[in-house]
Amino acid sequence: MRVRQHWLGLLSLFLCIPLATILSCKSPNKTSDSEPQFGTSADRVDLLFTYGSEKEKWINDVTETFNRGDHKTAGGKRIYVKAVPLGSGEAIDEVLSGRRQPDIISPASAAFIKLGNAQSQGKTGKDLIASTDNLVLSPVVIAMWKPMAEAIGWGKKPIGWADILTLARGQKGWEAYGYPQWGRFKFGHTHPQFSNSGLISLFAEVYAGSGKTSGLTVDDLSKPRVADFLSGIEKSVVHYGSSTGFFGRQMFSNGPQYLSAAVLYENMVIESYSQQVPFPVVAIYPKEGTFWSDHPIGIVERDWVTPEHREAAKTYIQYLLQRPQQERAITYGFRPGSVDVPLASPIDTTHGVDPQEPKTTLEVPSVPVIDAILNLWQQKKKPANVVLVLDTSGSMNDDGKIQSAREGAKQLVNLLSDNDRLSLLPFNSKMTWAVQNVPIKTGRDQLNRTIDSLFAQDGTKLYDSIDAGYQYLLTQSGDADSILSVVVLTDGEDTESTTPLATLMPRIQYDGEKQKIHVFTIAYGKDAKKSILDNIAQSTQAKSYAGTPQNIVEVFKDISTFF
Amino acid sequence: MAIDGSSDGPKLTGLGRVFIFLFILSCIGGAYYLFVGKKSFQQTTDKATSLLGGGPPVEIGIAYGTEKQRWLEWAVGEFAKTSDGRHIKVNLIPMGSLEGARAVVSGDQRINVWSPASALYKDIFVQEWQVKYSGDPILKEEPLALSPMVFVVWDERYQAFIQKYKVMSLETINQALKAKGGWDEIAHKPEWGLFKFGHTHPNQSNSGLMTIVVAAYTYHHKTNNLGLKDVLDVNFQNWLGDLERGASGFSNSTGNMMKEMVLKGPSSYDALMVYESVAIDYLKNAEGRWGQLRVVYPEYNAWNDNPYYIINAPWSTSDQRKAADTFLAFLLTEPIQRESLKHGFRPANTNVAIKFADSPFEMFAANGVQVDLQKICEIPRAEVVNNLLASWQRAQGSR
Repeated sequence: MRVRQHWLGLLSLFLCIPLATILSCKSPNKTSDSEPQFGTSADRVDLLFTYGSEKEKWINDVTETFNRGDHKTAGGKRIYVKAVPLGSGEAIDEVLSGRRQPDIISPASAAFIKLGNAQSQGKTGKDLIASTDNLVLSPVVIAMWKPMAEAIGWGKKPIGWADILTLARGQKGWEAYGYPQWGRFKFGHTHPQFSNSGLISLFAEVYAGSGKTSGLTVDDLSKPRVADFLSGIEKSVVHYGSSTGFFGRQMFSNGPQYLSAAVLYENMVIESYSQQVPFPVVAIYPKEGTFWSDHPIGIVERDWVTPEHREAAKTYIQYLLQRPQQERAITYGFRPGSVDVPLASPIDTTHGVDPQEPKTTLEVPSVPVIDAILNLWQQKKKPANVVLVLDTSGSMNDDGKIQSAREGAKQLVNLLSDNDRLSLLPFNSKMTWAVQNVPIKTGRDQLNRTIDSLFAQDGTKLYDSIDAGYQYLLTQSGDADSILSVVVLTDGEDTESTTPLATLMPRIQYDGEKQKIHVFTIAYGKDAKKSILDNIAQSTQAKSYAGTPQNIVEVFKDISTFF
Repeated sequence: MAIDGSSDGPKLTGLGRVFIFLFILSCIGGAYYLFVGKKSFQQTTDKATSLLGGGPPVEIGIAYGTEKQRWLEWAVGEFAKTSDGRHIKVNLIPMGSLEGARAVVSGDQRINVWSPASALYKDIFVQEWQVKYSGDPILKEEPLALSPMVFVVWDERYQAFIQKYKVMSLETINQALKAKGGWDEIAHKPEWGLFKFGHTHPNQSNSGLMTIVVAAYTYHHKTNNLGLKDVLDVNFQNWLGDLERGASGFSNSTGNMMKEMVLKGPSSYDALMVYESVAIDYLKNAEGRWGQLRVVYPEYNAWNDNPYYIINAPWSTSDQRKAADTFLAFLLTEPIQRESLKHGFRPANTNVAIKFADSPFEMFAANGVQVDLQKICEIPRAEVVNNLLASWQRAQGSR
């Protein structure tokens, strides 16, 4: 036995030298290359952690440090954490369906834990997450450009959801406040089925519509007043989306002509002070009350979480709650989840926020009431009118691209709401309207059959087709209250258009008033001209994607969250 | 990556060379430990084993309420340094007070001692034990440290509250919870929203159960002989229903609710009913966040005496029973009892003074912390407690 120890000692010494050499050399590929693949190493416990993307920067920062540290289980295995940012709703759905099998989960608020546990109890009789700790905190606020906030009395009187929502429903927009040059009041919140801040916005709208601040019931949701109120506000929404982070960044980079105000987290208002913005942004803490995004973290109660994973997960959670990591969170604009860490800059008025707010909160409704709110929203949300401009040029035959694109397009059809409409404009050397203005409620089967019938041939008349889709939507004059969008998928360069790019760009440039159609673009495969497609999306205040046959269904799923 | 030493491959920097040198040095140190150091470590371990007469130490498990976690963890560390502590390994098993009782009755063999926050659940535990096993389940019992119930409330809101109601009690809190416009009606402060009062879940946490016991005594204006007639009284049931429909929180942990109040400020709770020890533990953390917290003692109160029950469990060996008794004696010694004060408890050992310069009863006097209490209520019988819980559940059902 003693002899074996001698040899082990020497062996480890010689094995260590090459490792030390690699670590101390100038090399572009550092430790990540030497890490074994996730879940494959016998002397390492690999944890999968899915979390609400709002805290991505902080989690990346501290998890990287954790993985570099020497954190071990009692059995001596090193702990490695793979942290994956997701929308809060998506994170819960994935673990409920078992599509992804995380050991730890942290959505943006306890409302998602409540919903997840209720669904899990219904399916398995067990909770999904048993006990939680709050990692960090951030109140939900209405982020508004400071001059606009001052115009409605910010700084002089408390402002409530009802004030904002009245402004959103008003026909005169900013003219009613003496600023006709600011145009309509443009409001934004994320998709409530995918994102925590979107769900919370809906709660607030329903509370304001019902005149209550607690005790919402399913009966309240059936009152016409509440439905009218919700519908009135949703009309002012620019579009939805899956990520609060993307929404906030769009607002900050595109200015007040794009969004007057959006429901965001306090930490995002603070984040806006680290970038170039046309005006300062301030946080309005609604006087009726708001909600806390409290980022609960908990271990998943499923069989794939072994006792060893559980032990490792506890170590990681404890690490996140320790003082140094909590102090890092403050630098990202979050309030700490640990009582031992005092509030400090940048959580102050010079960064547009007030550490003494909020003064009161609204009550999180019961699970049946939340379900009823989501159903009502599906009926009353701003409808979408979408033109899908789909490349069917010959190159789409390569690598199964056309087959996957068809699946992705059908995913979009399935995820659009009953009140939405879709047109399909396939193009190659020619463009041909396959169908126009089909109501989703009655036309899902027809649209899916049409998509399945597409095949690929000939060249790429890209710009003409985008222009045609855009001009078609402009003629839909009855659609002032719809989210108008073109979704373009192409795998290559334009080869046959008569409209040059330089002519197309000003014709589609977003101005928030007359030209407000969003063009979402998917650069599909390696030959697509991504930079051109990025520009098109950017100039229409939309999002561009890099698509592959492998991820295209997910890309269409993300696009669907904007409608 | 080039591995032939050609010019575009990775280069060893000066710092890298130093690092390798240090690394080799530490590896040699590691190897020395394997050859030589291990031997001396082995000798130390052997010595420790020989003190035990060659046998392993006696292990005992204590299921305890998490309100005294920090104090007990410290005490276990200190115990390990004593000569007795080298023979006895204490495993602390944090469990809600009621969860602990259920675990013992269901035969959790890790547990030799149960130390809930109060004696409130003792009779129910004894009855349930006797249905399953026979005889008295408790070999020995002693209180470890005491803590009454208190209201903890944001000072600014407390001042506004007593302006209207004169005194803070569960009766006036019930009135405030029913105020239609909330703080607008109470103090013309619409921006404070509704009046928000919380306590833990009575079916999951001792402090929640203690809150509804205190509520019953408060309603009937008495301090003993709380009977079934009192609990089943229709007017009391309606009153309790109003109070509990308005209350919120119902977490399973008193500490977590208090933490939430400190972190989220008055937007989460205006007032909580918690243990005095928990309130004291968080007073310092609350400073510099949302304003001062105030501790208010209800007129009708009750002791949480943190009893230490050595369980007469069939799975406990006589060595484990003795070890549990040894650890109890250690917990009641003056230095360990004095430490409990730092965590906001009142020591059970009466030789330990509680008022001195650094005592929380001096340090937090400005926050309302005081030694003297008004009326102390006795713990009701098991059937009364069970009926109170049933009444509470009925009130929740109609929420």
